[in-house]
Amino acid sequence: MPFNALQEKDFFGRLQELDNLTKRVLQADRGQAQSAVLSGQRGIGKTELLKHLFGRLFWKQDRVAPFWYSVNPALLSVADFSKTYLVRFICQRLAFIKKDQSLFYHDGISIDGLSTLVEEREAFWAKEILDQFIQCSGDPVDALRLALTAPHRSTLSTGIPVAVLIDDFHWIKGLHLGGVPDHRLASLFQEPMAHGKTPHMISGNMAELQEMPVASGLERIQVHPLGPDATSSMVLSLLNAHEAEGVVPPLLIRQLGGNPYYVGCIVTRACEKNNPDENDFWKAYIQEIMEGTLAHSWSKVLKRFFPDLGQRRIALAITSKIYHTSEAISCQRIAKIFALTDSQANDMMQALYLAGFIRGEFGTFRAMDDRILRDIVDSLSMREILAKSTHDLEEHFHEALVPQKEKAVRFDLTLPNSKDAELIVAQSLEQIGKNLNINQDAIGQLQIAVIEACINAIEHGRGMDDKVYISIAAEEDHLEVSVESAGQEFIVQETGEPYRDQEATKTTGRGWGIKLIKRFVDQVKFEKTTYGTKIVLIKKIEKSASIHQEDTAIRD
Amino acid sequence: MMPKGYINNLGAENLASTSEEFIDKGSKKLVVNFSDVQFINTIGLSIFLSIVQNTLESKGLLCFTNMKKDHREMFEMAGLIKHVKVFKEEKDALNYLNGRS
Repeated sequence: MPFNALQEKDFFGRLQELDNLTKRVLQADRGQAQSAVLSGQRGIGKTELLKHLFGRLFWKQDRVAPFWYSVNPALLSVADFSKTYLVRFICQRLAFIKKDQSLFYHDGISIDGLSTLVEEREAFWAKEILDQFIQCSGDPVDALRLALTAPHRSTLSTGIPVAVLIDDFHWIKGLHLGGVPDHRLASLFQEPMAHGKTPHMISGNMAELQEMPVASGLERIQVHPLGPDATSSMVLSLLNAHEAEGVVPPLLIRQLGGNPYYVGCIVTRACEKNNPDENDFWKAYIQEIMEGTLAHSWSKVLKRFFPDLGQRRIALAITSKIYHTSEAISCQRIAKIFALTDSQANDMMQALYLAGFIRGEFGTFRAMDDRILRDIVDSLSMREILAKSTHDLEEHFHEALVPQKEKAVRFDLTLPNSKDAELIVAQSLEQIGKNLNINQDAIGQLQIAVIEACINAIEHGRGMDDKVYISIAAEEDHLEVSVESAGQEFIVQETGEPYRDQEATKTTGRGWGIKLIKRFVDQVKFEKTTYGTKIVLIKKIEKSASIHQEDTAIRD
Repeated sequence: MMPKGYINNLGAENLASTSEEFIDKGSKKLVVNFSDVQFINTIGLSIFLSIVQNTLESKGLLCFTNMKKDHREMFEMAGLIKHVKVFKEEKDALNYLNGRS
């Protein structure tokens, strides 16, 4: 792995997280670092974060030695795993001493060859570990225990702590002796993970990690989606790398949900054409969800959990049902709809949950907050269940996605967390109303509702991203304003309604905000998004025939 | 009283302290002219609640004039409008108050 090629300047929107992780593992030199698991949706950048952490620890300091290991599902017999784990650790540990990355590529070296190498380099601590490993060769479990504790043993001998960074850790549950996976083998990680001088930072499929006792007990560090600014910077960098120019439509940027893997796939596909225009980006998106890298990666996950075609079709049909139902669905309901036994439905839902296609809450299941996954599920089910042609799929997605932007006049704003920032949106709405000749009464009411939504968003996102993203879309017969912030706690999962902060209501009257919003607009939607929380306000509009007259009320 | 611009926490607190000063000096009749008010938020609205309460407690009379329809609706929603007199123009409120003295 070319760790030296990783440039922090190209690591968009993640430097704060990288700093925090670095600080965390460097506490190992005081024996106080704690192991943790990186949590976040598929493609969000957990692996990249670990790689950059490795690069930074390897090249930019000498206090803590980094060890990177990516679990290979083809090497899960205890004997294979122990050997590769130990060989890579010793090679990387030796490499760290003189910053000699050529040792990264000694993966295939034999234990004897490695013994000779460590002797040449007078790494007696490593020689001792290797000798013990050879002595354990008759007992694979002892050999595994020794390999896993090798970082700690090296720390005891050299005084240099080791940060163990393991990617795709969920595969560890497949460790086996004689072909039979034994979940207890993973628990051997518990001892090395507990040492304050050998913190383990692990990542992998979160749903599967949660099912593993050795990982579920660790602190979780959430890796958040990229914000719009970081996404735009990443897009620009990718375009530059392809020597292309172009602007990704803002609607498509939102569709990508700040997922760097999605962004990379779409922009790379669009750059197959020189200087792609907006339509090319949409085409790239549609191709990706139908038959591109994105579609294949999700399809591969589905096949892993449902190798049988018949089962896979049922799983797709269930997923599609869940994605097109707004409320949470129980296993019993799925059993009834798809004529399955409760046990069959439970197994299917559990597998879909572990595969990351659905999320579970209180015994019920919902769609993931991932618009691309939703489109991929639609594409897969239309193709595999409804036998639709590629042409039909293209037409379907083109109609569903692209026309939205052609009909609407759209304005996007980013509000900082500064005094009276909400007035910027209110004033913008006024000007938009004038430009589009929209009835001023409707604009006035929408302004009041939007001010409240912005204040809520600023309050609830405070301390997180501290920015509020506003999108105003003027459609033929309505105005739609979405207000998105980083605050997750704003929405009650079960009801989809916002929390009411009783204390705030008492002291500031802020509890009136939602009531006011509902009074002044025609429809309000609360959505949990990958970025945080979004409130969408929809106000029906009529175009004015004449200049607005000041509207005053009279009572007496 | 003629509040201006955006009635949020700061704007409304200024208004509340002005009204308190008037009440402390013995004024029983207050007129709030909204003609220069552009926006009101719910924080401002809640401070108006205390202005209304103070006026009622001092057995005073509060009049609102030159209100936009939307702002009046906000006060209706908060249940405040029934405790104040609303007039189209400031002069209407003054005529009404002079007629009562």
